[in-house]
Formats: sequence, structure tokens, C-alpha cells
Amino acid sequence: MANLRTYTLIYILLVALATGKFVFFEFNFAYATAIGGTIVLAVTKILLIAGYYQHLIEEPRAISYMMATAVFMVFLLVIAAGYSIQ
Amino acid sequence: MSDLPPMTSVKRWLVTTNHKDVGILYITTALFFLLLGGAMALLFRVQLWEPGGLGILEPVQFNQAVSTHGLLMVFWFLSPIASGFANYLVPLQIGAKDLAFPRLNALSYWFYLFSGILFVLSFFQGQTYAGGWTLYAPLNVPMYTPAMDATAGNNAAILALTLFVMSITIGSVNFLTTIHRSRAEGLGLWNMPMFTWSWLLTVWMMLFAFAALLAALLLLSIDRLFLTEYFMTDQGSSLLWAHLFWFFGHPEVYIVFFPALGIMFETFQTFTGRRLVGRKWVIIAMVLVAVQSFLVWMHHMFLTTINLEIKTLYMATTIGISLPFDLMVFSLIYTMVKGRVRFTTPFLFSLGALVLFILGGITGVFLGAVVLDYEFRGTYWVVAHFHYVMVSGVTALVAGLYYWWPKITGKMYSEALGKLNFAVYFIGFNMLYFPMFLAWETPRRVFHYGESAQIYHQIATVGAFVLGLSFLIMFFTFAKSWISGPKAPDNPWEYSRTAEWAIPSPPPLENWDGRPSYASGRLEFVDDSPAATDGGVAHGQGNTAEASVEHEAEHADHASIWPFGIGVGMFVFFLGLSGLTPFVANFAEGTAEPPEGLVGFETQPDIMYPVLIALGMAIMGITLFQFGREKFDAPVMNIAERWPFGGIGNTKFGIWVFLASDVIVFGAAIGAYIFMRLHMGWMDWEFDPITMAGLVNTYILLTSSFTVIIALVMAERKNKSGLLGAMGATVLLALAFMGVKAFEYTQKMGDGHYWWYSIEYSIYYVTTGLHALHVILGVLVALFMIYRIISIDAYLEDHRPVEFFGLYWHFVDIVWVLLFPLFYLM
Ligand code: HEM
Ligand SMILES: [Cu+2]
Repeated sequence: MANLRTYTLIYILLVALATGKFVFFEFNFAYATAIGGTIVLAVTKILLIAGYYQHLIEEPRAISYMMATAVFMVFLLVIAAGYSIQ
Repeated sequence: MSDLPPMTSVKRWLVTTNHKDVGILYITTALFFLLLGGAMALLFRVQLWEPGGLGILEPVQFNQAVSTHGLLMVFWFLSPIASGFANYLVPLQIGAKDLAFPRLNALSYWFYLFSGILFVLSFFQGQTYAGGWTLYAPLNVPMYTPAMDATAGNNAAILALTLFVMSITIGSVNFLTTIHRSRAEGLGLWNMPMFTWSWLLTVWMMLFAFAALLAALLLLSIDRLFLTEYFMTDQGSSLLWAHLFWFFGHPEVYIVFFPALGIMFETFQTFTGRRLVGRKWVIIAMVLVAVQSFLVWMHHMFLTTINLEIKTLYMATTIGISLPFDLMVFSLIYTMVKGRVRFTTPFLFSLGALVLFILGGITGVFLGAVVLDYEFRGTYWVVAHFHYVMVSGVTALVAGLYYWWPKITGKMYSEALGKLNFAVYFIGFNMLYFPMFLAWETPRRVFHYGESAQIYHQIATVGAFVLGLSFLIMFFTFAKSWISGPKAPDNPWEYSRTAEWAIPSPPPLENWDGRPSYASGRLEFVDDSPAATDGGVAHGQGNTAEASVEHEAEHADHASIWPFGIGVGMFVFFLGLSGLTPFVANFAEGTAEPPEGLVGFETQPDIMYPVLIALGMAIMGITLFQFGREKFDAPVMNIAERWPFGGIGNTKFGIWVFLASDVIVFGAAIGAYIFMRLHMGWMDWEFDPITMAGLVNTYILLTSSFTVIIALVMAERKNKSGLLGAMGATVLLALAFMGVKAFEYTQKMGDGHYWWYSIEYSIYYVTTGLHALHVILGVLVALFMIYRIISIDAYLEDHRPVEFFGLYWHFVDIVWVLLFPLFYLM
């Protein structure tokens, strides 16, 4: 498991990324840009938390695959359902 | 707690955590619900005797009978009886001593039983649910259907189903951990017995599918109890329900069928004396079906307004999923052709199941064609189709009952009676369901139909009674065997090959004398006791660790009363919730912005219900606390096959599996938001967030994730005060988070924006509220852990629980990472 220093660095990074989302929407970015940028920031945050705070990178790869499957299921449901009413 | 009372004592059955006991409980309870569901069916079949009904049921009673029949059979009978077989047999087939988490296993059973009792009670609280087992919106809310008035009974039925789904989730986590991590040495996945294979795939499907249903049911319950509007809007609601329900619903049909399929494979092998032809390919086909089952759900929505492109796509995937099934069917047929068949009762039932399944499958392919479905949807063709497939599954499950009866009870049954049972069953089945194809123009769930169909309906009704009779014969056969049947040998079937037949009937409490192992290519029992090692023990350190583990294993616990207690608490709590609506409605009427045009919420408040809610919470508080404190040693397996989940402990793996299902629950809730917003037009969404509150809470929650990590570091360093400080800080941060939430909600309500104000606000309150509920649960666990640190210096020697708590807490944080932009920025 990582040491306190790494954890602290990640924490600072997470705070910065969270602020980034806010900036996207509060300062005049185009709506699409803001959404796109926010998605990138959110995914980065999630990967950082899952990878380092939940130690996914140290666990057997199969755990990550399982979680990826769950996330995929959600995307499948939402995208297909969203498309079905276009 | 460790000593298990004898089987004849009632106490035994309340405290047992042993997988075989729990299996027996599941099977008997499921059979009880079969009788209840069957009684409902007989009732409405009598009503259907002539067009317009015989009049033995009021119209709304007819609807209740039809709806509860479907719900009882699909949920409270089919899956649980399979679960019972799995409980009893999967550990035996893989060479384990018990499930990975025996107390959780008991807990799933009690949740199941109490959900069933709650469902039965719903009949007596005004009226029970009458909108069909698919719970379609807006029939599932009172707004447009006064008959669906939010009576306590209507709510209780929905809540019962919710509790049932919780039971399934706990069970899936348990079985996934068990099958992936407790297989005997040398038992690779490919070599697992077919029933275990089918159950492994079943629980994987359950994990994801039931999570979607859980989300749907949570939203529906909140609509009914708190007057939110998910399923009450005039736009989008019914599609939202259909997507959520069928995303669960199609996998569900394989969930109920797979265990039956597994039994067919086992019995075909045993009674043809031959290994399944193309066994590897059959397994691959099953895996394919399990995956594909999540890709076809919209074939249940061909008559909705979804676009033609997606309908066509789903027609293609539906045809695709029937292909692997063809392979399985051919494999069964070839196995039979190549082997030498012994026509025992279990084999007859399995063969019957195969025949019925072929017919049901073919008629399903008709329905999968968009154009044909335009004609067939909502008719008896569908009813006939799914009874041929589902009750084919039941047929195979009856085969399972006969097949394993000698193992479970230690008694043989009468083959003559068994064969009579099969004959009556098969005739009754076809008399009941085949005429439905001929009467296909009858609309389903309605007792009016054309005169010309009357003869078919009458044959069907007679068939229903014949089928019912066959079950009486079955019960008689088993009762007779139980009382006076000859003693069963270890293995009454000449060619059975799975491990449960290698031990006595019934098996002893701990299943095996030695450690089962397949390392040599066949089943052997290895003696691992220290005495058998080469003297290491006598000379000191070398083997002591192993020896002490062995020692613990010998004293594995099999009894705990707390799962039962938690079940009681949940039951009382849910029963109380069922009568909450009138209180909320009164409150809403009294606010500055009462809901407009609220229909169907006229039931009078009854003070008993809030009292029950409080009582239930108190019981749960006490029992969960005791559950957490209890020292319980589950039987451990030191040597086991664990691919692909080696290198991670059982509990940690279990938590990850649970989180995977929670991803779906939250994903579906967030998906509901995205779907409704897309449906409305993304930019037409009228919601005015307090962005600053969201931002502040983001910082707070991120910081609490950091303190949880510090807690882990402190535990690793055995620093008690550091650990206490970090856990305490986490709790304080969580409370701060809740404080900001409270501020936010009060602001919104001050503006008159209650959760019933609009769909936008419904979704905002419910999604963030669901998240807040996770925070609250986390706080309770954290407080418990702080108590343990103070009272017994917990987690300094073994810091894993701190890490487990962190997994959950970070997950809650991750959800917020998504909620923040979705609800406060976009
Ligand atoms: C062999 C492949 C199968 C195909 C192609 C298929 C296809 C379909 C289709 C298209 C429908 C929707 C009909 C409609 O509502 O208009 C349907 C309904 C249904 N099927 Fe199947 N099916 C198959 C196998 C199964 C199996 C194995 C089961 C259960 C064990 C099952 C259970 C059901 C149920 C319960 C419904 C009715 C749902 C309701 O209440 O509306 N099907 N099937
Ligand atoms: Cu389907």
C-alpha cells in the first residue's frame, strides 16, 4: 500500500480537479466544452480514488474487470435507453 | 454461540447458519409459496370458465389474483427453490464446508421469508397489488388508476418485493464469493459440475439484473410513500419503468431457467450414464447466453414508442440469443441418443422439461419478430409462450426434487408413485397451457373473451386442476417416503459422478471427514491433521500456524440468532413503511405548495404504522449491533482453487462484489435522471441548484475520503489515538456534509420546491437523498468501529476492517463525484 505522501498528493490533486469542474461552468465556457471537460475531470477523479484510495491497482486484475463490467452495464442501459427515444 | 441444537428442535431452525439447513428452509418455504401462487391461479382459472367471468371474483379481485400469482411464482417460488438446491448442493459439489459467509446466508433466508410474509399480509391491508407482475407505469401508481389507491396493502406488496430483492443481493454476493474462492484443490472452473456452473452464471446475472430492479423498486416505493413523481408524469414515466424493469426482466427469465437447465444436465448425465456431449461447448453457450441476456430487453417494448431502428436491432439480438440455446438442446438430445437411458422419475421430469422448453422457445422466436409481436403482444400467445418456458423450468426443478430427495432425507421414494406423478403432471401441463395458444386472441389479464375461445379456456381450467392434483401426488409421494421409505444408500444412482454422492445420505454437519481434493484428477479425501505431518509439530514453530488454523476450523460456528433478529427488525420496519403515505399526504397538503391534482392518496392515517417504523428501527439497531459484536468463525478453507480471484481475502472480495451491484443501483438512479431529462429535452430541464452548497460538500467529502485513508495508515502503524482521531474526523466531516444537505433542502422547501413540485425536484431529492442515506449508513458503521476501538482496541492487530470500511466510503465519495456536476453544474 502507498504511503502517506502519495495519499496526500492524490488528495490535493482531487481537490484541484473538483475545483476545475466548477470553473468550467462558472466561467464562460461553451456548454458543450464544459460538459466534455467535466466528464474528463470526473473520470480522472474516479480513477484516482478507485486506483489509489481503494487500492484497485494492487488487487487482482479481475476485480477491476468486474467493476468495469458493472460500469459498462450502466452505460449500456443509459445509452440504449436514451437512444431509443431519439 | 456455536452449538447447534438437534434438527427436531425449533430453535435449531432459528439459529442455524449451516448451508444444508438453510437449503432445506429455502426449499420448503418456496414450496409453500408455490401452493399459495397455485391457489391464486386456480381462483382466476375458475373465473375464466365463461366469457365475462363466472363471478366468483370481483373485477379488482381478479386483477389481484392474476398479479399476485405472477409475483409469487416468479419471485417467491422459482428463484428461491433454486436457491435452496444451490444452498444445499453447491458447497457439496465444489468440496466446501459451507458458504463463505454463513451468517449472511441465514440473513438472506430470513429476508426472503419475511418478505413473503409481508406480501401475504398485503392481502389484509385494504387490498394488495393489482397492476400485473410487470408493475407497469403508470398502473403502478395511483394517479390514473383509482383502484391502485396507495393503501397500505398496495404499498406493502411493493415493499415486500424490495425486501426480497435485498435478500437476493446478499445471496448473490455470498455465492459468488463461495464459488470463486472455496473450490476444492484441483477443481478448476472447467471441471465444476454442471449444476454449479449454471448456478454460478445465475448469480452473476442476479448480481447485475436484480440491482436494476432494486433501483426501480426504490424509486417506485418512494413515489408511493413520499409522493415523488418518477412514475406519475404524463411524459416518459412509462418508458422509464419499462427500461428499468426489462433490463432486469429479460435476464430474469434466464435467472429462473438456468438452475433448471443445470438440473437437466446433471440428471441427463446420471441417467444416460454418459458425460454431456460437447460439455465444453455447452458451458461456453451458457456463458454466452448470460452475457447476451443483457442485450435483448427491448423485445418487451416493441409496442412502445421507441424508434424502429432500435426495435430492429433488438429483434436481431433476440434471434442471436436463441442460437446458443439450440446448441444446449442438441447436446441434451445427443447425450440421450448416445447413452443408455434409465427412465427414473427424475429423468422423466427432465426429459419432459426439455420437450416443453423446445415448444416454448420456438414460440418465443415468433414474439421476437417485431411484426408478429404487433399482433401477439398482450395476448394469450405470450401467456402460453412464457408458461411453456418457465414451467418447463419448474418441471426440471421437480426433477431436482426427486433426484436429490434421497440425498437430503436419506430415504428412497416410490418410483411407481413418482411415475404416476409425472404422467399426471405432463397431461395437466399440456391441457392447461396448450389451449392458450389456440385461444391466443384472448387479451391477457382480462376475463372477457370471444365465445369461440370458450372451449379452450374450459380445457385449460380443467388442466389447471389436473396439474394441481399432480402436485398433491408429489407431496404424498414425499410424505410417504419420509414416513416409511427405505433407507437411501450414499449413492442410489449408478452413474452419478458429482461429489455429493460420495458422502452419506444425509451428509454430516461438516460434510467431509478429510479435505476433499481433485489434485490427482479424481475426488480424494486428504488427511491434513497435524498428526499426519512429518513430525513438525513436535519440534516447535514450523507448523504451529497451520495447526492453530486447523484447530479453529474444527470449532467452526454454525449458529447465530442475529440474522433472524435483523430479519424481524426489517420486517417490522417495512410493515410500518407501508402505512406511511397518508401521513406524508397530510403533510404535503399542509405546506405552502401542496401537490396539484393528487389522486388516489385518500387512505386514512393509522398511528400503528409510525409506531412500527420506530420499533423496527430499534430492533434493527440492537440486532445489527449484536451481529457486529458476535464472534463467529466461519469454516475456513486454507487450500482452495480461487481463479480468477486469488490474492484477495473473502471479505474484501465480497465487498467488491457488493459494490459492483451498488454501481448498478446508483447507475440506474442516475440513468433515470439522464433519461427523463433527455426525454424532456436536455435544456428544458427547470432546476435551480445551490451550486456553492454542492461545491462545499464536494470538498468536505473528498476530505473525509482522505481521513479514512489516514485511519488505515494509522491502523497499520498500530497507532490507536491516530486511528481514533482519523475515524472521528471522518464522522465529523460526514455530519458536516449532512448539515450542508439539510441547509440546502430547507432552502429549497422554503421556496416551495418540495419533492412533489416537479419531476426535476423529485429526481434531485431522491438521487441526492439515496446518496445521503449511504452517508448515514457509513456514519453508523464508523461509530460502531470507534466504539470497538475504544472498548477492545480493535483493528490494531488486524487492520483489514478499516480498509473494508474505506472501500465503501470511497465508493460513496465516487458517487458524489458524479452527482455534483449532474445536479449542481449542468
Ligand atoms: C428461446 C428464446 C426466447 C425468446 C426468443 C423469447 C422471446 C420473448 C419475447 C419477444 C417476449 C415478449 C412478448 C410480448 O410481450 O409481446 C417474451 C415474453 C416472455 N418470455 Fe420469452 N423468449 C425466450 C425464452 C424465454 C425463457 C427461457 C423464459 C423463461 C424461462 C421466457 C419468459 C418470458 C416471459 C415471462 C415473458 C412475458 C413477460 C410479460 O409478462 O410480459 N422466455 N419472450
Ligand atoms: Cu425477454
